[in-house]
Amino acid sequence: MNFALWIYRRLAQAFPHEFKLVYGPEVMQLGEDVVEEIAKRHGAGGLIRLIADIAMRVPLEYLSEMRGDMRYAWRALIKSPGFALVGIISMGLGIGLTTNVYSSKWAVLFRDLPAAANAKKLVMLQQSADGDLAAVSYYYIEQFREQKSLFTGVAAFETGVPFNVTFQGALNSKPQRVFGQLVSPDYFSVLGVQPQVGRVLSPELDKPGDAPVVVISERFWRNRLNSSPDAIGQTLRLNGQIATIVGIAPKDFNGALSINPSELFVPITVPAALAPELANDVLHQRSAKEFLAMMCLAPGITIDSAEAGLDSVTRRLDEEGSSSSARLDKGRHVTLLPAGTSIPIPRKVKPALTGFLVALMGLVITLACMNLANMLIARGANRRKELAIRLAVGASRFRLVRQMMSEGTLLSLLGGIAGFALAYGLGVLNSHFTPPMIVPQESDFYLDWHAGVFAFGLAIVCGVGFSLAPALQATRTDLTPALKEGSALQLPGYRRFGLRNLLMVAQVAASLMLLLLTGFLVMGISKQSNIQTKFDANAMVLFSLDPVRDGSTPEKAQALFEKLPGRLQTTGPVRSIALAAHPPFTSEVERTQLSAEDSPGSSQVLRPVLEETVGAGYFATLSEPVLAGREFAEPDQRRQADGSQTLPAILNESAARGFFGNGNALGKRVRDDKQSYEVVGLVRDLKDVLGFSQPIIYLPLTPRNFARPPAGGITILVRSDAGKDALSAIRNEIALIDPDLNILNMQTLDVYLDRSQSAMRFSVQTYGGMGVFGLVLAAIGLAGITAYSVAQRRKEIAIRTALGASRARVLGLVLREGAALVAAGTVLGFLGAIGLAKIVSALANMFVDALKVGTNDPRLLVGAPLLLAAVAMLACYVPARRSVQIDPLKALREE
Amino acid sequence: MTEIDPKGFIPLKTQWFHILLSLAGGEQHGYGIMQEVLNRTTGKVRLWPATLYGSIKRLIEAELIEESDDRPAPELDDARRRYYRLTALGRGVLDAECERLQELVRTIRVKQGMVTE
Repeated sequence: MNFALWIYRRLAQAFPHEFKLVYGPEVMQLGEDVVEEIAKRHGAGGLIRLIADIAMRVPLEYLSEMRGDMRYAWRALIKSPGFALVGIISMGLGIGLTTNVYSSKWAVLFRDLPAAANAKKLVMLQQSADGDLAAVSYYYIEQFREQKSLFTGVAAFETGVPFNVTFQGALNSKPQRVFGQLVSPDYFSVLGVQPQVGRVLSPELDKPGDAPVVVISERFWRNRLNSSPDAIGQTLRLNGQIATIVGIAPKDFNGALSINPSELFVPITVPAALAPELANDVLHQRSAKEFLAMMCLAPGITIDSAEAGLDSVTRRLDEEGSSSSARLDKGRHVTLLPAGTSIPIPRKVKPALTGFLVALMGLVITLACMNLANMLIARGANRRKELAIRLAVGASRFRLVRQMMSEGTLLSLLGGIAGFALAYGLGVLNSHFTPPMIVPQESDFYLDWHAGVFAFGLAIVCGVGFSLAPALQATRTDLTPALKEGSALQLPGYRRFGLRNLLMVAQVAASLMLLLLTGFLVMGISKQSNIQTKFDANAMVLFSLDPVRDGSTPEKAQALFEKLPGRLQTTGPVRSIALAAHPPFTSEVERTQLSAEDSPGSSQVLRPVLEETVGAGYFATLSEPVLAGREFAEPDQRRQADGSQTLPAILNESAARGFFGNGNALGKRVRDDKQSYEVVGLVRDLKDVLGFSQPIIYLPLTPRNFARPPAGGITILVRSDAGKDALSAIRNEIALIDPDLNILNMQTLDVYLDRSQSAMRFSVQTYGGMGVFGLVLAAIGLAGITAYSVAQRRKEIAIRTALGASRARVLGLVLREGAALVAAGTVLGFLGAIGLAKIVSALANMFVDALKVGTNDPRLLVGAPLLLAAVAMLACYVPARRSVQIDPLKALREE
Repeated sequence: MTEIDPKGFIPLKTQWFHILLSLAGGEQHGYGIMQEVLNRTTGKVRLWPATLYGSIKRLIEAELIEESDDRPAPELDDARRRYYRLTALGRGVLDAECERLQELVRTIRVKQGMVTE
């Protein structure tokens, strides 16, 4: 009983101050009065009830006080709408942008593949430091599978595989082009993916020679089969061949490497007629490096030990395969990278990427919070008299601190709501800006719920944290002068290194860092991606054909492409026509490793170059002069790329320089592991749509390409003076040649370039917006601080004016303080931004080009600090002008 | 000032109802309210101390009761205790609540009558 009473007393002490003041003694008294009676009547249960009752009441009382605080805070905010609005907008912008970056970049990059139970244990082979994936032959994958101590499973797959799909009962309609993956039957078990309905593929059930089956994605089922309940067992025609749907993949599962979403999963056991990718018996060709290997690490195996183990296996296999023994180098053969995300990120790049995003989000949110803090400090100072009165009439310091904290909390909560709304809006906007890739991107709107929690958490932490310091400072007031002098007294905050000044310097520094970093990116990106064609981009029509997947044989396809230019010449004022495996300036080409062949003095090293396959007259059609040698001609298109003969190749300048230094490249040879090439021509470097110019080797289109066109089909470039009007003429002509041919992606070059760059432009706008945001916040903060400082020094200024100080002197006095803060912040921010850019570009190749351009741009390096300083000084000047308007008589009489 | 409508408080929380009811007979201090409720309900309803004062605080805020300045005769007075009494609004609310309960009871009676008939 005594123990219960002891606890009761302790709890009664814990009531909020206000409650204790009024009811504390009585609650205590009543407890003491009744405890005996309760023990007698109800026993131990009664005592427990007594304790539970008070234990529950204490937090309830705090909540109710908080509600009161909030109500008061609400009224206070409504009374100063300017302050509230600026606070809410700056918090909203900060939280909204952070949430947006988190959902659109962070979550997409680092989120595990949905529905894949083994996501954390998946690894893939990496080809180069840039994170290109290495393809291997199926034979290698079979050997990898034997390494049971390293991997629990190894699946082979090909991604971005187009299928022309005809639906049951819709034979007359045109087939739809759908992208999927060719997968080994163990693919789903390696990923750890369970079917939503039906079954997934498995080695036991799917054997070569069986009737073709297919697993469809949820998106395919929803959008193309209208969520039909009897989808399982239905048949589809894939590239003209019948396949039965056996299962639906789980929701949100779009295959491995889901950055290119897959809708169909076709086993590699199907006949080559269904998938031209499987022609020429690629499954048994040791040299056919067509497959990606998805490996699931065995328990207890780290990525490093798997890498070492796999390296020795690969080395042995490479040595056995005699064909490429000459090219073997001594270094590592195998690099693994984690593959359980939508886009595999090399381990070396990940820290830079995370660092960059954290820095970006951190800077934005820090800026917003510092702004809030600054405003709260200034406000606290202006309310000094109010606080002093409340302290004088008996409010506890804790009470006042809590009051101001709840104002901060309310402000940032409202900011959090505004921010979430902003993030939502940006997310919707984002989803409209999916880049036009060959494989259609998922444009579903996506807002990570983590981001929402993150935003609100952040909002509250900021609100409480940053109002605590100003609140404590504001209540550390000596009451007498505060009451006597009102708000015009010398403050503890007016010190050289006061909290306020430090915050201000930090804010200027952070906003300059943000401005410069985003500026580097914006400048870099926009400078690079500006493609200048030598002719009117409207006068070129691009379209693609894929006759093999429309049911044609490889021979017929070859014949079609041979006669096509002649037929299209008749469609109007056509200047020239060329074929290519990809649209011009595309960024979606493959990278390959080549070495210079037996030329003394030049390097034998494997060099990564981009491989573009183009037809006869390609450069003439683009009005690009061949700098030396010749470009491809008709006969080149008939050569067989089977390794038996040397093929002609054209290098761009940087590739030629890489292989042969400054010497003449014409007539020299380069080779990959299958094929040797003779350099017959040299062209200048052309930038791709993303603005990168890289070493490129141009190879001729060969019958192999016609038999197995790339994912986007074979692209036909038609330069016609008719411009857009050529579109329908070409369409009619194609229909005349073969009514079954599907015309893909028909558009003018102008439209193509515009669409390809829209995503880029959008990110430029986003980054630019962030930079401007930082600038605006810094200006708001500075203006607030200066206004506050002027208010504080009202009396001092009045005395100076009365003693004859000129207006300019008074203005200078006020501005000098602001200028010192701005200067200090600018220097720090400048150094910080340069340092951060260096770190980021040292770690990640992907930023190097953009950042290099930006960091070398004097306009940016000089302009950004000047712009910030100018805006900052303007923000100081506007409130500082008020100082000269102070009427000395009035100000001095106020006491 | 606008009149507050007693109906706005209906139905009353159980503790509020009991507190108002025990103040209907005159002013009372916290301990007294507790004892009165306990006796009136033959021990079935106990207002636990913290809940009692929490409710009193809210009743005062809602202006249903107020602190009384009248103290009983010095020999009966406990200086540590505060006395509370109903306000006009509080009385109105109590009446409205009683009416509601009576209505309820009438409804039940009629219903039971129908069942037995």
